[in-house]
Amino acid sequence: MEAPPVSVMPVTGGAINMMEYLLQGSVLDQSLESLLHRLRGLCDNMEPESFADHELVYLLKGQQGNPFLLRARRSLLHPPAPWHLRYLGQPEVGDKSRLALVRNCVDVSASHGLPEVLNEMGFRMDHEFVAKGQLFRKGGMKVVVSKLSRVLVPGNTENTEPLSLSYLVELSVLAPAGQDTVSEDMRSFAEQLKPLVHLEKIDPKRLM
Amino acid sequence: MSGAPAVRVSIESSCERQVQEVSLDGLETYAPPLSMSQNLAKLAQRIDFGQSSDEDEDGPERDSREQWSKPEAEEDEGMVKFQPSLWPWDSVRNNLRSSLTEMCVLHDVLSVLKDKKYMTLDPVSQDPSVGKTPQVFQLLSKKKSLATAAQLLLRGAEKLTKSVVENQEQRRQRDFNSELLRLRSQWKLRKVGDKILGDLSYRSAGSMFPHHGTFEVIKNTDLDLDKKIPDDYCPLNVQIPSELEGSAYIKVSIQKQSPDIGDLGTVNLFRRQAKAKPGSQMWHLKLEAAQNVLLCKEIFAQLSREAVQIKSQIPHIVVKNQIISQPFPGLQLSISLCHSTGEKKNQRASPDKSKPDDHLYVLEHNLHQLIREFHKQTLSSVVMPHPASAPFSHKRLRMAGPMAYDKAEISSLQQSEGLLEKIIKQAKHIFLRSRTARTIDSLASRIEDPQIQAHWSNINDVYESSVKVLITSQGYEQICKSIQLQLNIGVEQIRVVHRDGRVITLSHQEQELQDFLLSQMSQHQVHAVQQLAKVMGWHVLSFSNHVGLGPIESIGNASAITVASPNGEYAISVRNGPESGCKVLVQFPRSQAKELPKSDVVQDGKWTHLRGPYKEVHWGRMEGRNFVYKMELLMAALTPCP
Repeated sequence: MEAPPVSVMPVTGGAINMMEYLLQGSVLDQSLESLLHRLRGLCDNMEPESFADHELVYLLKGQQGNPFLLRARRSLLHPPAPWHLRYLGQPEVGDKSRLALVRNCVDVSASHGLPEVLNEMGFRMDHEFVAKGQLFRKGGMKVVVSKLSRVLVPGNTENTEPLSLSYLVELSVLAPAGQDTVSEDMRSFAEQLKPLVHLEKIDPKRLM
Repeated sequence: MSGAPAVRVSIESSCERQVQEVSLDGLETYAPPLSMSQNLAKLAQRIDFGQSSDEDEDGPERDSREQWSKPEAEEDEGMVKFQPSLWPWDSVRNNLRSSLTEMCVLHDVLSVLKDKKYMTLDPVSQDPSVGKTPQVFQLLSKKKSLATAAQLLLRGAEKLTKSVVENQEQRRQRDFNSELLRLRSQWKLRKVGDKILGDLSYRSAGSMFPHHGTFEVIKNTDLDLDKKIPDDYCPLNVQIPSELEGSAYIKVSIQKQSPDIGDLGTVNLFRRQAKAKPGSQMWHLKLEAAQNVLLCKEIFAQLSREAVQIKSQIPHIVVKNQIISQPFPGLQLSISLCHSTGEKKNQRASPDKSKPDDHLYVLEHNLHQLIREFHKQTLSSVVMPHPASAPFSHKRLRMAGPMAYDKAEISSLQQSEGLLEKIIKQAKHIFLRSRTARTIDSLASRIEDPQIQAHWSNINDVYESSVKVLITSQGYEQICKSIQLQLNIGVEQIRVVHRDGRVITLSHQEQELQDFLLSQMSQHQVHAVQQLAKVMGWHVLSFSNHVGLGPIESIGNASAITVASPNGEYAISVRNGPESGCKVLVQFPRSQAKELPKSDVVQDGKWTHLRGPYKEVHWGRMEGRNFVYKMELLMAALTPCP
């Protein structure tokens, strides 16, 4: 029996280009409680959601200068949940008045064999860390308050040590390209958190 | 003395007692003199009982102590413990000395006054120019001084009134703040610049409706302080968006299908305003009404979106503020958003005001509940991503990629039924239930024998109700209870479970249920005869639920039974059909039949006891209020007494 003839062209591209709008800030450990209370009041009315994730950053070094970076993340609290693979592009160099960091974002859910596949493809793990904290949402906005810890023995997520005495606060929205009202909403939300934490656009290139 | 101005000399007695208190009008209160016992106590306190009465040894010390205690003897009560003075005439001596001083002074004054040798009494000099000024100047100066005094007083009075007014202002200010506090305890507020904005939408409860739902809080400053403050005065006022003004509700109604579609979309009936709870502020009512309008708009938007998108056999019509669909043929379900801004009162003159209870309040309430359920679903923790960097999506849908779900599995995960479908199903069920009840009730009122009873269960589902139908004969309920039906009314069908185990499914047609019940009633009569025969001792010779002989019934089948009397002489045959009614024949023994020819074959007398010909009973003329009673009488009549 022959396979039926393919009469439809395979779908190439056509996926919506999603952009990630990001604002970051940090709080010291002592001020964490007040920040969590404020977020609980401002964000959607749900039970606070804790998370513990293990993220591995893979690099593919090509002939050109810039290596290709992929982030693979799995949940430590929910082991059966699928892995999450993420590609983040370069931040868009729009006008300086753009209030949030905008970059191209591709999100993929993957099964549990992801590290092996990436290794086979030629990626090498650059570094890994464990992030623990709480997750809030307000409509489409996601606020992640996380403590990053260094993994001392590669592969062993039990043995970690915190990287700093503070928590990283990230406000992010996933939206299709071209929506500028998103950054306005993000900025007004960040204003409400103002004295506790200052969320601002942090260019990753300047940190290197 | 003459010629010199007079000098006033004042004399007063020396104070013997201490001044205890000087009151506000200058009156001095003296300490009362000590009584005898108090004096004695005071003196006794001075005695140091611990000290020996030897004077030689402590002589010099005593002297020094005496000298030093003398000047403070008078005010010395606190220090008495030290060393009581052994000089008892101390106070006498002091008093005498002070009186001597006073006398000397008096003497000196009198001598000065009289002799004028070294000193004279000179009065305090007055200003000589005072007497020379004319009266006009005096008047002017008095006026000026009075004016200065008046100004001072007026300034003071002004300050007082200003402070009173400020207090009042502050109280009003505090009222505004306390009202604001109350407002904030119930509604979400935030400060933007110098404006106070609030949020009355359901967004924080999970709604995805794009309306902003922002209201502004403004201070109510149009108050005249001079006039009396009105009772319902509130220092705070809220300004809601113009499209949310007034009040709204969703009207769900089922009607017979209107022949013309001309007048759609103009439904705007309005019922009276809900009574305000006492004690709730005006802003609260306003905000609640606006929130309700927003929710109704969201419900209607969701319903109309689904009405347009979902493909169904009979398409739904969406016109202006009304959605029309057809749950059953000949029936029309209309869901409309009735929003009145409260300004125009004359819109109540609407042509279809004749059916005010057409509105299915249950379905309106269910719509509100369903949309709130939908809100809650967006807030459930199923949507939260683990790991945290993943986008928001349903937990199981995230597995679709890694587990390679196909389209069928994915569509099974998605929300299967929308709001409109759910509400149409509920409306269908409500309609079917009410129609079933109406059918049963009309049959019960129309037919007296046998009786039909319906016991509706209290606990129902939105999509299912049940009723137990009993067909009985009056007076014989214990005997004839073989027809018991359990009806389960679903969305589109009625399932009937018979007592003998048969399950029959009826459609939504009203006629089917009616025909079925009529056929059951006719079967009941025959069953009743069977039960009665058991009680009366008659024997059942034959029984058939569905008789194949005789005229064909259009509804169901006829049933028949034949019973014989205990001694076998008589037999009764009954045939009952839903349409043809009942036919009762009695079989007599041959001896009672007159027209039977005498035959040569059968000659023995015993054969005359056999049953022979049949005779029909004029059932209508029988005594008895119902069929079973008549049957009982008949059986009793055919059973001879022993």
